[in-house]
Amino acid sequence: MTRTLTVLIGSPRGLDRSNSAALSRILLDAFDESVWTIDWIHLHEAVGSKDAAAKLVAEVTNSDLILFAAPLYVDSLPAPAIEAFERVVAARAGRPDDAKTPRFAVLLNCGFIEPRQNATAVEICRVISDAAGFEWFGDLALGGGGHVTGRIRKALREAGASLANGFPISPDTRKRVRRPVMPKLLYVLGGNLMWRRLAKANGLTKEALLGQPYV
Amino acid sequence: MKTRSACILDGAPRDVPALDDAVRHVVKTLDERGWTTTVQRLREMEIAPCRGCFACWVKTPGECIIDDAARDVARAAIHSDLLVYVTPVTFGGYSSTLKKAVDRMIPLILPYFTFVGSEVHHIRRYPTAPNLLGVGLMPERDERQERAFRALIRRNSINFHAADAEVCLLHEGSLDPRSSIVAALEEVTAE
Repeated sequence: MTRTLTVLIGSPRGLDRSNSAALSRILLDAFDESVWTIDWIHLHEAVGSKDAAAKLVAEVTNSDLILFAAPLYVDSLPAPAIEAFERVVAARAGRPDDAKTPRFAVLLNCGFIEPRQNATAVEICRVISDAAGFEWFGDLALGGGGHVTGRIRKALREAGASLANGFPISPDTRKRVRRPVMPKLLYVLGGNLMWRRLAKANGLTKEALLGQPYV
Repeated sequence: MKTRSACILDGAPRDVPALDDAVRHVVKTLDERGWTTTVQRLREMEIAPCRGCFACWVKTPGECIIDDAARDVARAAIHSDLLVYVTPVTFGGYSSTLKKAVDRMIPLILPYFTFVGSEVHHIRRYPTAPNLLGVGLMPERDERQERAFRALIRRNSINFHAADAEVCLLHEGSLDPRSSIVAALEEVTAE
């Protein structure tokens, strides 16, 4: 029997250019396409019109498994992702007792080096899961701005294998990503160099980058 | 003595009498103490979601490239001594109406990383930052969501370099919401 997986991408960069989608693709390696029908939805588009929102609700309601992948935005989820779940929860409020209970797994990534900075957003996702009547199937919360090391790749594949075989993401897999992907000081120095380079490529000096336009 | 100012972000997604009352209580209490207040009614403002392009950090430093009302909100926020978020507690966090404005405030900090305690955070862009008060309305008590909301306000205060942060949680049908708001304001505005 075919099963349905809906991948909800909560990054403004969408299905092609986001770390959320790239990380999801690694996790989905374990999903056998003869068993799983996989639908992708970009939540920023899903809240853009009534039709798109209705399609989101219908797809989510018919899913066996939902993978929600998003970047950390100011200690929480990006606003359009919250809006999408506000709509899903409202639409599912009056669902019949025998309605399907989709499984809900979460893949978060943040631009800080410490994966634990995702903690508040993970908790928000757990509340969403309960409010929407989903079954919580675990989370993988990554730090390091989408940096994929061998250890992270392995964890993503393990998580994918668990989900594809009907199991939640295991505590061991979650533990594998708890450690930062590199020493913190290296991340700070490398990150700061990257920002300077990006600014320089835009013709900005180091001083201009520190601008205070609202003084 | 300089008059202190507060910027109040009304994050109600629609007319919610208890949230309108909360905004009124905040304004009245601060007015009585000689503060100037501005209320930003976010649901009536055109605010696009953050595009995640980082232009506000590496192209137009300190200002979002999207020219809409979120720029005015960010400007008002950084000029204030106190920033107040008023919101229905939504999944333990902010309503999407409020979150849209909060996401667009990252131009107020620098892209550069530094250590805050043992954690990595972004460096402040401006010499001062407003204190933060989160006023959250819940239909009923829910310890888990209350814990998440408190944690969110605390984490936001670290990321935006607020010297102090407080939370005031109201429950629909609360007998005396004003007392709770006054107590939270006293804490967060104490010199």
